[in-house]
Amino acid sequence: MEVASFLVIRLGVNYFALSAAGVRGVLTQEEVSHDEAVTVSGTSYQLVDLSQRLSVVANLSGPERRTVLYSTGRSHGAIGVEQVVGLMEIERKDCVPLPPQFQSDERDWFRGMLLYQDQLVLILNLAWVMGEPSGIVSTPIRQAEQLVKITSAMMGGVC
Amino acid sequence: MLRAARGQQHTLNAKRLWNVVVFSVGGMKLAARTEDVEGVSSWTETIPVPSRTPFVQAMLKRDNHVMPVYDLAARLNRAVQGAPLLCLVARHLEGPMAICIDAAVPSLEAVNPAAIRPNNSEDIESLGLVTIGAQDVVIVALQRLGRLRQDTVSS
Repeated sequence: MEVASFLVIRLGVNYFALSAAGVRGVLTQEEVSHDEAVTVSGTSYQLVDLSQRLSVVANLSGPERRTVLYSTGRSHGAIGVEQVVGLMEIERKDCVPLPPQFQSDERDWFRGMLLYQDQLVLILNLAWVMGEPSGIVSTPIRQAEQLVKITSAMMGGVC
Repeated sequence: MLRAARGQQHTLNAKRLWNVVVFSVGGMKLAARTEDVEGVSSWTETIPVPSRTPFVQAMLKRDNHVMPVYDLAARLNRAVQGAPLLCLVARHLEGPMAICIDAAVPSLEAVNPAAIRPNNSEDIESLGLVTIGAQDVVIVALQRLGRLRQDTVSS
């Protein structure tokens, strides 16, 4: 059984999953300054306004607000979230692609989705979150779907 | 012999008729081929999904499956009417898609394809226009719903 680990966070009414491998820490509101970046153990994490990037209405002044320190290896970000729901492990086969009816920018935002405790959780593409250049040549949607199918069959899911 | 021929003719005509589901969105009567409709059930709360695809900005959860929601009412600049609202599941080419429709229970009609006229209005993907009762009703092409809009957006 191949499993993938995620940190599940909430912004407004939406739940999102971040691959747990890149999580470097979770800070409370008091531990975060109002600067442009958070520096921890010599690493500078640029503040990422995820709710604004996704156009999601979120209350980031609530008591459960946290800042997730994340590293993709290429870049480091401090992501403000409304709530950290928890760490989860899921069988890779349970991660599914976004339905093809979603045809716009969101295909770049999310790697897929899964159901967790009866909630729909969208798996974030952290390279996009961090603003890294995708380096991906535009692929026609049919071709992309075919690729996802082949890759999913080989890897057992989209995560 | 004559009876048999008549019977055959009747069967042939019956085969040629289109069975359509007539439903309404914001009081506007619409139709769809029965083979394009997976089912009609009660509407449940949807889950918003951050999206820039026009009218596809939520998902509906049924048991352990989720399907995208197409906001046909918004596309038609209308608001769904009545309570409890109903959910029409369309057999879209890309997979099942939920559409919120008025509370008025849909009906089944048999339509003679010869009576279907071209729908000159290009505001929705359609298979044509037909008169049901005294009303002109657009037969929505549920299988390719959203594609006209996508083409417009991308062009």
